[in-house]
Amino acid sequence: MTQRQPDAVALRGIVKRFPGVLANDHVDLTVAPGEIHALMGENGAGKSTLMSILYGLSRPDAGTVELAGRPVAFGSAAAAIEAGIGMVQQGFALFDTLSVTDNVIFGAEPRRHGLLDRRAARTAVGALVERHGLRLSPTDRVGDLPVGLRQQVEILKLLYRQANVLILDEPTAVLTPAETDRLFDVLRGLAAEGRTILFVSHKLHEVLALSDNVTVLRDGRVTLSCATADTDRGALAAAMTGRAVELDRIYPVGAPGEVVLSAQGLTIRGHPALDDVSLEVRAGEVVGIAGVAGNGQTELVAAIAGLRPLDAGTVTLGGRDLGGLPVRERRAAGLAHLPEDRAEVGSAPGATLANNLATGFQRRLARRGFLRPRAIRAHGSAIVEEYGVRAAGVDAPMRTLSGGNQQKAILGRELAHDAPVLLVEQPTRGVDIGAIAQIHRRIISYRDAGHAVLLVSAELSEIRALADRVLVMYEGRIVASFGKDEATNEALGLAMAGGAR
Amino acid sequence: MRTVLVTLLGALVLGAVLLAATGANPLEAYGAIVTGAFGPDGIQDTLAYAVPVVGMATALAVPLRAGMVNLGGEGQLVLGAISAIVVGSHVPGVLGIVAALVAGAAAGALYATVAAVCETRLGVPLLVSTLLLSYPAMSFAAYLVRFPMRDAGSSLPQSEQLPPDVRLPALGSVTVGVFLVVAAVAVFAVVDARTPAGFEARVTGWGPRFAAYAGIERPGLTVRLLACSGGLAGLVGAVVVLGFPYRFIDGALITPQYTWIGLLAALLAAANPLGTLVAAVFFAALTSGGFAMERATQVPRELTAVLQAVLIIFLAAATGVLRKRRNPA
Repeated sequence: MTQRQPDAVALRGIVKRFPGVLANDHVDLTVAPGEIHALMGENGAGKSTLMSILYGLSRPDAGTVELAGRPVAFGSAAAAIEAGIGMVQQGFALFDTLSVTDNVIFGAEPRRHGLLDRRAARTAVGALVERHGLRLSPTDRVGDLPVGLRQQVEILKLLYRQANVLILDEPTAVLTPAETDRLFDVLRGLAAEGRTILFVSHKLHEVLALSDNVTVLRDGRVTLSCATADTDRGALAAAMTGRAVELDRIYPVGAPGEVVLSAQGLTIRGHPALDDVSLEVRAGEVVGIAGVAGNGQTELVAAIAGLRPLDAGTVTLGGRDLGGLPVRERRAAGLAHLPEDRAEVGSAPGATLANNLATGFQRRLARRGFLRPRAIRAHGSAIVEEYGVRAAGVDAPMRTLSGGNQQKAILGRELAHDAPVLLVEQPTRGVDIGAIAQIHRRIISYRDAGHAVLLVSAELSEIRALADRVLVMYEGRIVASFGKDEATNEALGLAMAGGAR
Repeated sequence: MRTVLVTLLGALVLGAVLLAATGANPLEAYGAIVTGAFGPDGIQDTLAYAVPVVGMATALAVPLRAGMVNLGGEGQLVLGAISAIVVGSHVPGVLGIVAALVAGAAAGALYATVAAVCETRLGVPLLVSTLLLSYPAMSFAAYLVRFPMRDAGSSLPQSEQLPPDVRLPALGSVTVGVFLVVAAVAVFAVVDARTPAGFEARVTGWGPRFAAYAGIERPGLTVRLLACSGGLAGLVGAVVVLGFPYRFIDGALITPQYTWIGLLAALLAAANPLGTLVAAVFFAALTSGGFAMERATQVPRELTAVLQAVLIIFLAAATGVLRKRRNPA
């Protein structure tokens, strides 16, 4: 270590313009070999643009990219991969019908006499899985894996290609605390081997826990660049948002009343399954469901909402049996739902904001059988105003909104039903920290207005902030129940790993 | 709009090259198409052809708005036509006309409902159930006009003519049935844009999972949309046979490709009601212009079909490009 090695990655003075936007404005970013460097910023701050320049997906308008001291100009991702850069994108690029092994080796298949050597492939992938302590079986079909495990397949692809510089774009968005810890162990191990990690995230505690250095972008400019040890949550949040942000507020328990939602013995056979789950949610109460993704939370909410049939069990709402009722009648009986999958389930990205907000209200907005565009727009504008949704207008397509604004809009639409029961799944996944506090406040004030809220979240901090009671799901069962005061990270973490029997 | 015009020009140039390659004069050929489609005689042919094409395009656009494809238009059209003949030859006068039209619509609606129920109850995909049910319907009608309903005075497989008082009054080359088709387009446009039911169909088209989540029930919607679609197809069949030559001739509703040209128009217009109308009229003009070109010039029949195909593919590409630009993935 006497002689200073050249930086593994050096981006200098990067400028990238898009029509109407300066996505990167003279951005500098240098990362040493063996360093874990966090790149932070809210949606639209320019993180993805910067990474796509490094990864060869777009060219900078000005500035240079150096790899191990040598200037490079990748014309394509293939060239970047050749040079030892690997990137895990936010969306998955996997073949659902193929096995883990096939996905990992795709594009770099081991050969024997010119033919695909399946045995060598399985062995190589199996060894990687073993070595990095992943919970995958090389023969599993990717389509059968829960989202959390698919992410691991993506990371496995980079490891298999022996990438020297690893870019991970929000890799923990779909992971649970235990999986995140395991991923961090893997990343630390890789860094110790001398590999360079660029970790794109907006989760403060993860950045603080994992990275050596951190760079924060806001509006395309670097607003903070320092050793992680020299900063803290408040400073990072302020650098990201440009203002002081209320962090991790833990709300006091509410004043629960009568039981409104009751589920008894809910069972869905299959994998992942739901196994004899019973729970009650009272008016004026938030019940949080914690658990590693893929342990039945999604199925539980889908079953209550009427989107998945039950093999056994009953759901009652305000004393009324919902058994066999279709979604429409459940909603009419008093159910609103903020779903996990914002783009596919919670909205129609190609349709306008106004139309998205009117969906579910189309019968109520009609007058004498006619649904006037003016009524649809007025309804949308009211929600946009009330919830501070930032959009080019209610006629803008939903997909043009940022994740946080989409979520605020969808939450606003569902709260507007004023239903006695609200089902909430992952309310702040992929949402800017500025919007997180707002969404949390909305959920709590909905609770305080006397509504029952069932909250599913993979974020322990979110569960602890909002839930009056916490139930932990593991392998389709509820394995533990905690009051607000008992729900510490340690207790929840242990139960989530199945250790609370 | 500019993309569409540029594409049209591109298709015309490519068509001209093809025409020139066969020794024809492209300008003369194109001139023949335009006169054939919109000239004093041509406009009549175009209108006569456009009525069933627009009707079928609208019929198929109704479920397409919700992302559901009715491939059984031919069967519904033919059943509607034959039912109208049966009823029209037994009920006299204006009542007979009305009853025949209602019978046509009802037959098409019922038959499409069967296909819808095959999907909602039995899990047979709509694409399969509508298409496969179409063949027995066409065969059944073919049987009827060959045996029980055959016109004894003719050697052709055709029914007897309807009595003179059970015929739709003619307006040039078309009948007053044209108003029924226009009304259907108007009703579709209004329901689509201005009613909760139309909104729910559109939501289903935007995203089936979003619609299910929002409480829009797919099975009920499927049955209702298919019933409307088949009903309109059946009505078109009734309108056609209540016009000249006032009888059901086997194959007369199939050979002109009303259904498939209509489906093409609906697909190109993404089932937008007015867009579907425009596309359907355009294709009707192109087809009748093509026939005229065949008659007026030495261009062989096959080349007309090639020209039409070139135009359609270019247009499809243009609308596809436009849609992609509007909704980047």
